[in-house]
Amino acid sequence: MNVDTSTTVTSEPEQPSDESLISATLAGDEGAFALLVARYKRRIFGLSARFARDSDEVEDICQEVFIKAFENLAAFRHDAPFEHWLTRIAVRASHDALRRRRREKGQSGYDDYVFEVRDYGAEARQEARLARELLKWALSRLKEEERIVITLLELEGYSVREISSLTGWSESNVKVRAHRARQVLKRVLEESDERQR
Amino acid sequence: MSDNADERLDRLFAAARSERMDTSAQEEHFETRLMARLRERRREGIPWYALIWRAVPVLAVLVVLIAVYSASYKPTASDDLFAAISSGQEDYLVQNVLTGE
Repeated sequence: MNVDTSTTVTSEPEQPSDESLISATLAGDEGAFALLVARYKRRIFGLSARFARDSDEVEDICQEVFIKAFENLAAFRHDAPFEHWLTRIAVRASHDALRRRRREKGQSGYDDYVFEVRDYGAEARQEARLARELLKWALSRLKEEERIVITLLELEGYSVREISSLTGWSESNVKVRAHRARQVLKRVLEESDERQR
Repeated sequence: MSDNADERLDRLFAAARSERMDTSAQEEHFETRLMARLRERRREGIPWYALIWRAVPVLAVLVVLIAVYSASYKPTASDDLFAAISSGQEDYLVQNVLTGE
Protein backbone atom coordinates (compact mmCIF):
# COMPACT_ATOMS: atom_id res chain seq x y z
CA MET A 1 0.00 0.00 0.00
CA ASN A 2 1.49 3.35 -0.97
CA VAL A 3 0.33 5.54 1.93
CA ASP A 4 2.44 8.47 3.12
CA THR A 5 2.96 8.19 6.89
CA SER A 6 6.01 10.41 7.14
CA THR A 7 4.18 13.39 8.67
CA THR A 8 2.75 11.48 11.67
CA VAL A 9 5.06 11.64 14.70
CA THR A 10 3.78 9.74 17.77
CA SER A 11 5.09 7.17 20.16
CA GLU A 12 2.35 4.74 19.06
CA PRO A 13 2.58 2.74 15.85
CA GLU A 14 2.13 5.20 13.02
CA GLN A 15 -1.42 5.54 11.72
CA PRO A 16 -1.84 6.92 8.23
CA SER A 17 -3.95 10.07 8.17
CA ASP A 18 -7.40 10.13 6.54
CA GLU A 19 -6.04 12.41 3.82
CA SER A 20 -3.28 10.01 2.83
CA LEU A 21 -5.71 7.07 2.83
CA ILE A 22 -8.13 9.03 0.64
CA SER A 23 -5.35 9.95 -1.79
CA ALA A 24 -4.20 6.33 -1.94
CA THR A 25 -7.77 5.13 -2.54
CA LEU A 26 -8.19 7.63 -5.37
CA ALA A 27 -4.92 6.35 -6.82
CA GLY A 28 -6.50 2.87 -6.98
CA ASP A 29 -5.36 1.35 -3.68
CA GLU A 30 -8.32 -0.67 -2.35
CA GLY A 31 -6.43 -1.58 0.81
CA ALA A 32 -6.34 2.09 1.80
CA PHE A 33 -10.13 2.27 1.55
CA ALA A 34 -10.45 -0.89 3.64
CA LEU A 35 -8.39 0.89 6.34
CA LEU A 36 -10.74 3.88 6.21
CA VAL A 37 -13.71 1.51 6.56
CA ALA A 38 -12.09 -0.22 9.53
CA ARG A 39 -11.48 3.16 11.16
CA TYR A 40 -15.05 4.44 10.90
CA LYS A 41 -17.25 1.34 10.72
CA ARG A 42 -18.01 1.34 14.47
CA ARG A 43 -19.29 4.91 14.25
CA ILE A 44 -21.46 4.15 11.21
CA PHE A 45 -22.76 0.86 12.63
CA GLY A 46 -23.69 2.61 15.89
CA LEU A 47 -25.56 5.36 14.10
CA SER A 48 -27.33 3.02 11.65
CA ALA A 49 -28.43 0.74 14.49
CA ARG A 50 -30.38 3.68 15.94
CA PHE A 51 -32.62 3.70 12.87
CA ALA A 52 -32.51 0.17 11.50
CA ARG A 53 -35.28 -2.34 12.07
CA ASP A 54 -33.03 -5.40 12.25
CA SER A 55 -29.45 -6.54 11.85
CA ASP A 56 -29.82 -7.08 8.12
CA GLU A 57 -30.95 -3.50 7.67
CA VAL A 58 -27.95 -2.27 9.70
CA GLU A 59 -25.65 -4.15 7.33
CA ASP A 60 -27.52 -2.80 4.28
CA ILE A 61 -27.33 0.80 5.46
CA CYS A 62 -23.62 0.50 6.33
CA GLN A 63 -22.80 -1.04 2.96
CA GLU A 64 -24.76 1.69 1.19
CA VAL A 65 -22.89 4.37 3.16
CA PHE A 66 -19.43 3.06 2.37
CA ILE A 67 -20.27 2.29 -1.27
CA LYS A 68 -21.51 5.87 -1.74
CA ALA A 69 -18.39 7.15 0.01
CA PHE A 70 -16.16 5.08 -2.24
CA GLU A 71 -17.92 6.07 -5.45
CA ASN A 72 -18.01 9.78 -4.54
CA LEU A 73 -14.62 10.03 -2.86
CA ALA A 74 -13.29 12.24 -5.64
CA ALA A 75 -16.01 14.78 -4.79
CA PHE A 76 -14.90 14.96 -1.14
CA ARG A 77 -13.58 18.46 -0.50
CA HIS A 78 -11.32 18.60 2.49
CA ASP A 79 -13.17 21.58 4.03
CA ALA A 80 -14.66 19.32 6.75
CA PRO A 81 -13.32 16.18 8.44
CA PHE A 82 -13.86 12.91 6.58
CA GLU A 83 -15.88 11.59 9.53
CA HIS A 84 -18.35 14.47 9.21
CA TRP A 85 -18.74 13.83 5.48
CA LEU A 86 -19.28 10.12 6.12
CA THR A 87 -21.81 10.82 8.89
CA ARG A 88 -23.74 13.04 6.50
CA ILE A 89 -23.96 10.13 4.04
CA ALA A 90 -25.04 7.83 6.90
CA VAL A 91 -27.80 10.23 7.98
CA ARG A 92 -29.10 10.41 4.41
CA ALA A 93 -28.97 6.62 4.01
CA SER A 94 -30.84 6.17 7.30
CA HIS A 95 -33.43 8.72 6.22
CA ASP A 96 -33.91 6.82 2.94
CA ALA A 97 -34.27 3.53 4.86
CA LEU A 98 -36.93 5.05 7.13
CA ARG A 99 -38.88 6.38 4.14
CA ARG A 100 -38.68 3.03 2.35
CA ARG A 101 -40.00 1.30 5.46
CA ARG A 102 -42.85 3.78 5.82
CA ARG A 103 -43.96 2.91 2.28
CA GLU A 104 -43.72 -0.81 2.99
CA LYS A 105 -45.89 -1.11 6.10
CA GLY A 106 -48.31 0.62 8.40
CA GLN A 107 -47.84 1.21 12.10
CA SER A 108 -48.19 -1.39 14.82
CA GLY A 109 -48.59 -1.46 18.59
CA TYR A 110 -45.74 -1.90 21.06
CA ASP A 111 -46.67 -5.55 21.71
CA ASP A 112 -46.38 -6.34 17.99
CA TYR A 113 -43.08 -4.57 17.67
CA VAL A 114 -40.15 -6.92 17.05
CA PHE A 115 -36.66 -5.94 18.20
CA GLU A 116 -34.29 -7.78 15.99
CA VAL A 117 -31.09 -5.75 16.11
CA ARG A 118 -28.95 -8.19 18.04
CA ASP A 119 -27.10 -6.56 20.92
CA TYR A 120 -24.58 -9.12 22.08
CA GLY A 121 -23.56 -7.20 25.20
CA ALA A 122 -27.04 -6.38 26.40
CA GLU A 123 -27.85 -9.14 28.84
CA ALA A 124 -26.16 -7.39 31.77
CA ARG A 125 -27.90 -4.14 30.93
CA GLN A 126 -31.51 -5.17 30.97
CA GLU A 127 -32.95 -1.88 32.19
CA ALA A 128 -31.17 0.21 29.60
CA ARG A 129 -32.17 -2.28 26.93
CA LEU A 130 -35.85 -2.10 27.89
CA ALA A 131 -35.72 1.69 27.92
CA ARG A 132 -34.07 1.66 24.52
CA GLU A 133 -36.68 -0.72 23.12
CA LEU A 134 -39.58 1.31 24.47
CA LEU A 135 -38.00 4.43 23.07
CA LYS A 136 -37.30 2.78 19.74
CA TRP A 137 -40.92 1.75 19.44
CA ALA A 138 -42.04 5.29 20.32
CA LEU A 139 -39.55 6.70 17.81
CA SER A 140 -40.99 4.45 15.12
CA ARG A 141 -44.25 6.43 15.43
CA LEU A 142 -42.57 9.66 14.39
CA LYS A 143 -42.22 11.11 10.92
CA GLU A 144 -38.87 10.21 9.38
CA GLU A 145 -37.48 13.75 9.60
CA GLU A 146 -38.54 14.12 13.24
CA ARG A 147 -36.97 10.79 14.11
CA ILE A 148 -33.69 11.73 12.46
CA VAL A 149 -33.56 15.04 14.36
CA ILE A 150 -34.50 13.74 17.82
CA THR A 151 -32.16 10.73 17.52
CA LEU A 152 -29.20 12.87 16.53
CA LEU A 153 -30.03 15.47 19.19
CA GLU A 154 -30.91 13.34 22.20
CA LEU A 155 -29.18 10.02 21.58
CA GLU A 156 -26.12 10.90 19.53
CA GLY A 157 -25.45 14.19 21.30
CA TYR A 158 -25.18 16.46 18.25
CA SER A 159 -25.99 20.16 18.56
CA VAL A 160 -28.73 21.85 16.55
CA ARG A 161 -26.09 23.49 14.36
CA GLU A 162 -24.36 20.16 13.69
CA ILE A 163 -27.66 18.50 12.82
CA SER A 164 -28.43 21.35 10.47
CA SER A 165 -25.08 20.76 8.78
CA LEU A 166 -25.57 16.98 8.62
CA THR A 167 -29.10 17.07 7.23
CA GLY A 168 -29.05 20.25 5.18
CA TRP A 169 -32.14 21.56 7.03
CA SER A 170 -32.11 25.04 8.58
CA GLU A 171 -31.46 25.40 12.31
CA SER A 172 -34.97 26.70 12.97
CA ASN A 173 -36.38 23.75 11.01
CA VAL A 174 -34.34 21.37 13.17
CA LYS A 175 -35.61 23.06 16.36
CA VAL A 176 -39.23 22.85 15.22
CA ARG A 177 -38.86 19.18 14.31
CA ALA A 178 -37.20 18.40 17.65
CA HIS A 179 -40.04 20.14 19.51
CA ARG A 180 -42.71 18.31 17.52
CA ALA A 181 -40.93 15.00 18.04
CA ARG A 182 -40.89 15.48 21.82
CA GLN A 183 -44.61 16.30 21.83
CA VAL A 184 -45.45 13.21 19.78
CA LEU A 185 -43.20 10.97 21.89
CA LYS A 186 -44.82 12.14 25.13
CA ARG A 187 -48.28 11.53 23.69
CA VAL A 188 -47.34 8.08 22.40
CA LEU A 189 -45.86 7.04 25.75
CA GLU A 190 -48.93 8.26 27.61
CA GLU A 191 -51.23 6.39 25.23
CA SER A 192 -49.14 3.27 25.72
CA ASP A 193 -49.43 3.60 29.51
CA GLU A 194 -53.21 4.01 29.30
CA ARG A 195 -53.51 0.93 27.12
CA GLN A 196 -51.50 -1.15 29.58
CA ARG A 197 -53.61 -0.10 32.59
CA MET B 1 -48.40 17.77 28.72
CA SER B 2 -47.15 17.39 32.25
CA ASP B 3 -43.62 17.87 33.55
CA ASN B 4 -43.70 14.18 34.47
CA ALA B 5 -43.93 13.25 30.83
CA ASP B 6 -40.93 15.45 30.06
CA GLU B 7 -38.93 13.92 32.89
CA ARG B 8 -39.86 10.43 31.83
CA LEU B 9 -38.83 11.11 28.27
CA ASP B 10 -35.51 12.56 29.44
CA ARG B 11 -34.92 9.46 31.60
CA LEU B 12 -35.59 7.24 28.60
CA PHE B 13 -33.20 9.27 26.48
CA ALA B 14 -30.53 9.12 29.18
CA ALA B 15 -30.92 5.35 29.57
CA ALA B 16 -30.76 4.77 25.82
CA ARG B 17 -27.83 7.18 25.49
CA SER B 18 -25.84 5.54 28.26
CA GLU B 19 -25.50 2.31 26.32
CA ARG B 20 -24.24 2.07 22.81
CA MET B 21 -25.50 -0.98 21.02
CA ASP B 22 -22.82 -3.63 20.71
CA THR B 23 -22.57 -4.29 16.98
CA SER B 24 -19.07 -5.79 17.13
CA ALA B 25 -20.24 -9.22 15.93
CA GLN B 26 -21.85 -7.65 12.86
CA GLU B 27 -18.77 -5.56 12.18
CA GLU B 28 -16.56 -8.63 11.84
CA HIS B 29 -15.21 -9.03 8.31
CA PHE B 30 -17.36 -6.12 7.16
CA GLU B 31 -14.47 -4.76 5.08
CA THR B 32 -14.16 -8.09 3.27
CA ARG B 33 -17.87 -8.19 2.44
CA LEU B 34 -17.86 -4.56 1.37
CA MET B 35 -14.80 -4.83 -0.87
CA ALA B 36 -16.30 -7.95 -2.51
CA ARG B 37 -19.49 -6.02 -3.23
CA LEU B 38 -17.56 -3.07 -4.61
CA ARG B 39 -15.62 -5.36 -6.95
CA GLU B 40 -18.88 -6.99 -8.04
CA ARG B 41 -20.42 -3.58 -8.79
CA ARG B 42 -17.38 -2.62 -10.83
CA ARG B 43 -17.59 -5.86 -12.81
CA GLU B 44 -21.28 -5.34 -13.55
CA GLY B 45 -20.63 -1.82 -14.82
CA ILE B 46 -23.12 1.00 -14.98
CA PRO B 47 -26.77 -0.17 -15.34
CA TRP B 48 -28.72 1.05 -18.38
CA TYR B 49 -31.11 3.20 -16.36
CA ALA B 50 -28.16 5.07 -14.84
CA LEU B 51 -26.83 5.69 -18.35
CA ILE B 52 -30.18 7.17 -19.39
CA TRP B 53 -30.10 9.54 -16.43
CA ARG B 54 -26.55 10.56 -17.32
CA ALA B 55 -27.63 11.21 -20.92
CA VAL B 56 -30.41 13.57 -19.83
CA PRO B 57 -28.25 16.76 -19.81
CA VAL B 58 -26.83 15.95 -23.26
CA LEU B 59 -30.31 15.33 -24.66
CA ALA B 60 -31.59 18.55 -23.05
CA VAL B 61 -28.79 20.54 -24.71
CA LEU B 62 -29.60 18.90 -28.07
CA VAL B 63 -33.28 19.80 -27.75
CA VAL B 64 -32.42 23.41 -26.95
CA LEU B 65 -30.02 23.62 -29.91
CA ILE B 66 -32.63 22.17 -32.29
CA ALA B 67 -35.28 24.56 -30.94
CA VAL B 68 -32.99 27.56 -31.36
CA TYR B 69 -32.00 26.47 -34.86
CA SER B 70 -35.57 25.87 -36.03
CA ALA B 71 -36.71 29.19 -34.54
CA SER B 72 -33.95 31.09 -36.30
CA TYR B 73 -34.11 29.17 -39.61
CA LYS B 74 -35.85 31.07 -42.38
CA PRO B 75 -35.74 29.50 -45.86
CA THR B 76 -34.84 32.03 -48.49
CA ALA B 77 -37.82 32.87 -50.63
CA SER B 78 -37.15 32.22 -54.30
CA ASP B 79 -38.02 34.80 -56.93
CA ASP B 80 -38.02 32.04 -59.53
CA LEU B 81 -41.66 30.88 -59.91
CA PHE B 82 -40.72 27.65 -61.76
CA ALA B 83 -38.26 26.67 -58.99
CA ALA B 84 -40.89 27.32 -56.31
CA ILE B 85 -43.49 25.14 -58.16
CA SER B 86 -41.08 22.30 -58.94
CA SER B 87 -39.84 22.31 -55.32
CA GLY B 88 -43.45 21.87 -54.18
CA GLN B 89 -43.96 19.07 -56.71
CA GLU B 90 -40.88 17.26 -55.48
CA ASP B 91 -42.27 17.29 -51.96
CA TYR B 92 -45.60 15.99 -53.28
CA LEU B 93 -43.88 13.18 -55.24
CA VAL B 94 -41.76 12.16 -52.28
CA GLN B 95 -44.85 12.05 -50.08
CA ASN B 96 -46.63 9.84 -52.63
CA VAL B 97 -43.70 7.44 -52.86
CA LEU B 98 -43.47 7.16 -49.08
CA THR B 99 -47.17 6.62 -48.56
CA GLY B 100 -47.46 4.28 -51.57
CA GLU B 101 -50.20 6.21 -53.30
